[in-house]
Amino acid sequence: MSNAESYRGMNVSEFFAKHKEVAGFANPTRAIYQTIRELVENSLDAIDGSEEGRKTIKPHIKVVVEKVEASGRGNEEKTWCKVTVEDNGIGVPYTVMPNAFAKVLFSSKYVLKQARGMYGIGVKAAVLYAQSTTDSGIDVVSSTALLEDVYSRKLRIDTLNNEPIINAYGSWKKPTAWRGTRVSLVIECDWARARSKVLEYMARTALIAPYVQITFQTPEKELYIFPQKTSTIPPPPKEANPHPHGIDVETLKQMLAATKAKTFREFLERDFQSVGKKSSLYFIRELKKKVKEIKEDTPPAEVYQKFNGLLSTIVDMMKTFKFKPPQSNYLSPLGEELIVTSLKSMYKPEWAAAIRRPPRSYQGHPFIVELGMAYGGEIQPSEEPLLLRFANKIPLLYEVGEDVSYKIMKEIDWRQYKVEFPAPLVILVHVVSTKIPYKGVGKESISEVPEVEQEIRNGMLELGRRLREYISSKEREEEVKTKILAVSKYLPEIARSLVVLSKEPHSWKPPKPGEEKEVLLGLIKLVSSHVKLPEKESSEEVIRKILGVKKSGQG
Amino acid sequence: MDRADAEARRRAALAIRQKLLPLLKEIEKGNPPKLVIPKRTFSNTNFDKEKGFLVMGEETLERHLLDAGEARRFMQTILMASIIYQALVENEYPTIRDLYYRGKHTITYMDLAGKVKEENTWDEQDESDAVLRDIEVMTDLLREEMLILSKEKGKMVGDMRIRSGPDVIDLSKLGHGAYAIESTPDLIEFLDVNAEFVLVVEKDAVFQQLHRIGFWKQYKCLLMTGAGQPDRATRRLVRRLNEELGLPVYVITDSDPYGWNIFSVFKVGSITLSYESERLATPKARFLGVSMTDIFGDKGKKPYLTAEERKNFIIKAKDADVKRAKDLQQYPWFQTKKWQREIELFLEKKAKLEIEALVGKGLKFLAHKYIPEKIQGGDWIE
Ligand SMILES: Nc1ncnc2c1ncn2[C@@H]1O[C@H](COP(=O)(O)OP(=O)(O)OP(=O)(O)O)[C@@H](O)[C@H]1O
Ligand SMILES: [Mg+2]
Repeated sequence: MSNAESYRGMNVSEFFAKHKEVAGFANPTRAIYQTIRELVENSLDAIDGSEEGRKTIKPHIKVVVEKVEASGRGNEEKTWCKVTVEDNGIGVPYTVMPNAFAKVLFSSKYVLKQARGMYGIGVKAAVLYAQSTTDSGIDVVSSTALLEDVYSRKLRIDTLNNEPIINAYGSWKKPTAWRGTRVSLVIECDWARARSKVLEYMARTALIAPYVQITFQTPEKELYIFPQKTSTIPPPPKEANPHPHGIDVETLKQMLAATKAKTFREFLERDFQSVGKKSSLYFIRELKKKVKEIKEDTPPAEVYQKFNGLLSTIVDMMKTFKFKPPQSNYLSPLGEELIVTSLKSMYKPEWAAAIRRPPRSYQGHPFIVELGMAYGGEIQPSEEPLLLRFANKIPLLYEVGEDVSYKIMKEIDWRQYKVEFPAPLVILVHVVSTKIPYKGVGKESISEVPEVEQEIRNGMLELGRRLREYISSKEREEEVKTKILAVSKYLPEIARSLVVLSKEPHSWKPPKPGEEKEVLLGLIKLVSSHVKLPEKESSEEVIRKILGVKKSGQG
Repeated sequence: MDRADAEARRRAALAIRQKLLPLLKEIEKGNPPKLVIPKRTFSNTNFDKEKGFLVMGEETLERHLLDAGEARRFMQTILMASIIYQALVENEYPTIRDLYYRGKHTITYMDLAGKVKEENTWDEQDESDAVLRDIEVMTDLLREEMLILSKEKGKMVGDMRIRSGPDVIDLSKLGHGAYAIESTPDLIEFLDVNAEFVLVVEKDAVFQQLHRIGFWKQYKCLLMTGAGQPDRATRRLVRRLNEELGLPVYVITDSDPYGWNIFSVFKVGSITLSYESERLATPKARFLGVSMTDIFGDKGKKPYLTAEERKNFIIKAKDADVKRAKDLQQYPWFQTKKWQREIELFLEKKAKLEIEALVGKGLKFLAHKYIPEKIQGGDWIE
């Protein structure tokens, strides 16, 4: 036996096959959740992908989970699930299908654009899990708007080479103008345990994507329908150039190598955002103080080759130079209105509000934080606020304790905002960015980036203030109502007594029952005109309710 | 029904209506209704030197229907007024207990949560009694004038005939009994009287003893008692006897601050119910005894008790008595030389004496020596 270490390389698909937990496939419970999530999020990206399409097509995602017989020896004890997700998004051209679904680190989202996907791993991690638990691959059916045929592929990943294996081809003419993608996988799963989490995921996804109809069929054949709550669809995110503040040496190298620009100055203006004629000029002037050889008209290729050793100096300078801040118009937040609509339809609160913080950036990445808050109504009171976290329109369900929003929420003294726990309070935090500062590849929590943290805190406090205002005005209303009650309950007695007094002694006859009606109505009018409710409800209605006096006639 | 009764009813009904009917107009006009009620507080009680009794000051309070804290009392006041009014026009004589029961009923309403709730117009008689007092001050009518009956406690005997309702009563022909002073002394008509003064004794027992010994016959007086704290009817009648018949009124009480207070109620009225004094107080009433100087003597005055008797009869004053005496010492109507001397002596000796102690010395002593001698000698305190 030799004691010598043995060395070998490992390719990326083998890595994810071996280390399933890294991508969120730690066990059969997490795996079913994670699979559904990866597929649904790809579908949502596909739906957000084209602007024209969404104007005519009502976005729709169908998710079906079925139990299937576990086959093969030794698998009798295990449960297998078939997960099928279908969307009517942009579709995948058949040429890229194999790589998109069966080559790890292949993605259309390696661009600066707000998207749910970002690593080029998601669906492949699910395929690797399917291969290793049920020895099956992935079935994909897709068509784009321009294609006349629908294409189908059965795919697997060659884990040794990280290359797609195509097991079956198919294509047929489109009978309708269908476009979209349907994907199915068979995986080992623990549905019973995952069920509640998956349902919660569905509900929250529906909340943050209210413009999409989502239907979900469980293995028990229950059908959950989350209808489209609005047809106002936020504009889809656009691709952006990098901001100089967010650059690193490696990226700069690649950009210099790939650019179509003729001069260094043109390169700065064309390939970066927030760099204009003036700032490029000033920047190069500043740069010359350190790197004399660089001129405005130096070709980018020359910069790449000649000044290789100085690239880090250029990057440092880019990071510190005062460019305009990153542009946020590439981002697609949900919008205050949609957040309120969503919260209201999900939780049926008595009050809901939302706020969008002004766009900012961290490390060159623009981001926008938007927050929502809902209070009272049908919300179940709990010991702490129910925190709904979202990033680029995907719900984050795990690792709540790790998340920056949770930390902020716990730091706030909610009593200052007239909230006493247990309280019916829901807080929604949504961060959109071309790069979400996740803590891990599993995309479950956001890290404590100071800029992001500050925006979340300010937003939460602002909503807290609005909530306090609401609660105070409600208290004032309660106060008025209490006063109305304290006075009104005596009105019939007063009316009766006054009628007795109004009878002349010489023609005395005790009043008949009901004779006080007129005086009573006068009193009701009087009280309601002097003790007014701050809002819509009329005092008179309240008094009539208290006394059981109907508007038209007999009380 | 006799005319005095009918006339009283007419007057009271009118006064109540006049005070309360304007509310209807206000309600019609949409103005928040309010009741203006003279304040029945100590701070709003003044001693009128000229008149010689307590009078209510000018301070009033407003009771607003639209004030959540006052709405209930507002309702109760109007309710009480309506009950009294109805009793007046229906020729009834309710007692304050009757008023309480007649007005006490349950009102039902819906609370803000939509639950049916119940509440009584009033719960305890204290509440209805208090609004009755409000109505008395508002209308300037005493309950007797509204023909409301109270418990009768006062008694009277003497050589006198009165008309009460349809009957003539001879107050000298009641055997060992006595005339129970009726709740509505204003309806009594004095027919003829053969008496030279009125003697009011605090205690019923002493009243009976003096009655049996024939004191009133021998000394030509009207003998009365309020049996402790005098009720209103007794006080009103004493006042009428003094005012209308010109008979001097002498009061005999225990020799202690409590007894002084009873005298004070007869003379100037009650501090918390000063509105009654105008009709109930007898400012010319005289405190005959038992005084401190009767017990201990004074410059030029021999005590009625020997040192031995004092040792036997005197009771040591309690702290509460001392405190009360100090209060009385401050009151304007006790600012006479004789009263101040009286109170000083008490504070110095810390001694109390009951009238019964004088009876213990012999009823005859009380009837034939003490009282006549003091009246003849002018040994009283104004
Ligand atoms: N339903 C779909 N419709 C259209 N394109 C899809 C769909 N699913 C996957 N794709 C394409 O396949 C690519 C790879 O998807 P995958 O989930 O592996 O990575 P990703 O979404 O880019 O990044 P991430 O690892 O963060 O999920 C996507 O970038 C997209 O181009
Ligand atoms: Mg993905």
